[in-house]
Amino acid sequence: MAQSSNPNGKKISVRVAVVAAGVVSPLGVGLAETVDSLYKARDCVTPVTRFSVSQCRCKTGGQIPDDRLLAGQNEGRRSHRLHRASHMMIQALKEVLTQEPQFEPELTIIGTTSGGMSYGEHYYRSICQAGDLRHAPTWIANYPAQKPVIDAQEAFGISAPCQIIANACASGTNAIGHAFECVRSGRYQRVLAGGYDALSEMVFVGFDSLQASTPEKCRPFDRHRTGMVLGEAAAILALENLESAQQRRAPVLAEIIGYGISTDNFHITQPDPSGIGPRQAMERALQSGGISAAEVDYINAHGTATVFNDAAEGKAISAVFNGVPVSSTKSMMGHSLGAAGAVEAVFCLLALQHQFLPSNINFTASDDDLDLNIVGNETRPAVLRTALSNSFGFGGTNASILMRSFKE
Amino acid sequence: MSLAIAGMGWVTPLGSGVDSVWERLLHGDEASTTTISEEFGDRSYNVFRVPELALRGTAHPRLRRASAISRFAAAAGLEALRAANVKLDAQHAERTVLIFAISNGGVIYTKRFYRDIVNEGAQSASPLLFPETVFNAPASHLAAILGISGATYTLVGDGAVGLLAIKMAEDLMANEAIDHCLVVGTEEIDWLLCDAYRRWRLLRAAPPIEPFSRQKLGMILSEGAGAIVLARDGPLTIECAHPGGYFAKRAEAVEILKRILCDLGQSEIDFVVSSANGTFVDEAECRALKAGDPNAFVYTAKPALGESVGAAGLWQVILAAQALRSAELPPVLHAGAPVSLRLPRSRTPIAGARCAIVLSCGLNQQVAGLRLAIR
Repeated sequence: MAQSSNPNGKKISVRVAVVAAGVVSPLGVGLAETVDSLYKARDCVTPVTRFSVSQCRCKTGGQIPDDRLLAGQNEGRRSHRLHRASHMMIQALKEVLTQEPQFEPELTIIGTTSGGMSYGEHYYRSICQAGDLRHAPTWIANYPAQKPVIDAQEAFGISAPCQIIANACASGTNAIGHAFECVRSGRYQRVLAGGYDALSEMVFVGFDSLQASTPEKCRPFDRHRTGMVLGEAAAILALENLESAQQRRAPVLAEIIGYGISTDNFHITQPDPSGIGPRQAMERALQSGGISAAEVDYINAHGTATVFNDAAEGKAISAVFNGVPVSSTKSMMGHSLGAAGAVEAVFCLLALQHQFLPSNINFTASDDDLDLNIVGNETRPAVLRTALSNSFGFGGTNASILMRSFKE
Repeated sequence: MSLAIAGMGWVTPLGSGVDSVWERLLHGDEASTTTISEEFGDRSYNVFRVPELALRGTAHPRLRRASAISRFAAAAGLEALRAANVKLDAQHAERTVLIFAISNGGVIYTKRFYRDIVNEGAQSASPLLFPETVFNAPASHLAAILGISGATYTLVGDGAVGLLAIKMAEDLMANEAIDHCLVVGTEEIDWLLCDAYRRWRLLRAAPPIEPFSRQKLGMILSEGAGAIVLARDGPLTIECAHPGGYFAKRAEAVEILKRILCDLGQSEIDFVVSSANGTFVDEAECRALKAGDPNAFVYTAKPALGESVGAAGLWQVILAAQALRSAELPPVLHAGAPVSLRLPRSRTPIAGARCAIVLSCGLNQQVAGLRLAIR
């Protein structure tokens, strides 16, 4: 286990508790709806309605209905101007603070890939087509990646400084992993960590142009997989020094016990086919957690359902683990990019709390080249103590976190 | 925990190379502006661009299709590593963390990619351009050039993001498995950014940037990169990085700045490198500084180099480090009417200076600071 020093140079390594969590995704608003959707293995991917996809191969995505997103939120003029991502973050943070109203973070670390991208699109499109630019100052002000985080904090009177990590699709896991290390080092007592991303035309078309997205169902690790679908979500975890949490009698939902990060420099959009990057991230997470591969009971895979990504990740998983149950929950809601790692951490948390294996839906047949124990199509009850969550992104960024049920 | 600055790299509109740019600043040089025009309108903007010559010697296959932002970053990062004498073999590559500070990112390719979608439809979107639109593209290019196999992070924010990246480095270096952090701030210019800042009433049509002016006439955008290698030991240290906070309204920035100055021990410092750029930032920093110790010198290089947003924080740290090393401050250019701050209006010796504060008040709500010292 990596040793850290606190500001006084003393070697310490504290335990890191998850004391609250909030989530909004196509699977539902809040933990209760989310766990229900996970149990039922719901397919929440629907035809995209937010922008035209008529010229795209892929025409579906995981979307959060507007009425659900805005329910219970302030109807004022300012609220009306906020980006969709801000509303998502406000919902997620609201759930965290409903569980832990006394949680006062010293730092907030959030992952995203595209900030308020759709406002940037409105702005550029209006310039390009000589359109109405009266709202341009609002679009510009709400475009920066830190804005939804600041909006959410401001809504609840939280003044913590914000670090916004944009490590492509690994961002959410990087945010939680770095927050974990901040608390474990003893430098911070309480940190909020998570991720968000809202669907946007530019990113949707971008993945379509790479032919990474599919016109069919998203089938991670399937022999017949043809690509990913995109989604949107926001999720936040409240991390706290375990001792501090126990002293103030906060509920401990689980512990984060390890974090691994690696960079493979094979290609800006493709993983090294050997799986070296994901393998290093998983091995480093195990090393960081001080546990063996045999102690991991479930892997929430990155599992985008692209041919190359799943092959590399599958190879890495089978090299490190022996028959551990694996699923990609992106099959149910699409790939929410910067939010994915955070949402999937929440799924792991729910799996540990409720003792089940989330499903990898749309699964038709095993890939002969992948030696994996896929949790196909139906949720399974299971005895779980430790879960691993993987996220890998453009630029060769790979991240894994380990979460464990809490025991004294 | 203090961190040593082991090496620095600088790509600016005044050229590249830390010593060379510093000399020019000491001589009171100001970068020349270039005019760039809107693509769809008839407006044009004055900006400070990096001269092409400044990027000589940074060709690499990985950068063949990369945008300017990635090339600036690579040039600055490689210079910083050379200065630190850090050789990244396989073992060191795993124990070195790369942290990027970005604000607007690869705006040139992003705009081009989306323009094709708007004008021609989704089917004309370029799969070659799309990966370059991602915020972490510049970091991934430099990681590939250096062979970094451990952690790489890209932080996004406003002008304060550079100092937040250094704060992140401070947190990461608490882990003894890390030997060095290479922190790079980088930014590129496009007319679209000029238009956006103009609509926000933060941009000035033509130079100069007049710092601490009551009129807040606005800033001129610039581009480039700054890089520092952080290690554990050395004579020049970042004693404390302060993550600051955010302001909901601009008027609130001053209170965060005051808190940062107080926490960083303003009374013991010799000079402050400010982020004053001709906008509301100047008044906030002026008020915060006046509330503390009015005897410290206050320097800003933005009239000479422009506002480089994502790169700005790293530039300020390099300026503070160079001032401590050389015991001199360059002149603050175009500071017109007398202000109640102690500005070096000509090249000013600061013999015996030991401590400096860098303040960064961003345009999009983030504020941070740090304290440097030299032994």
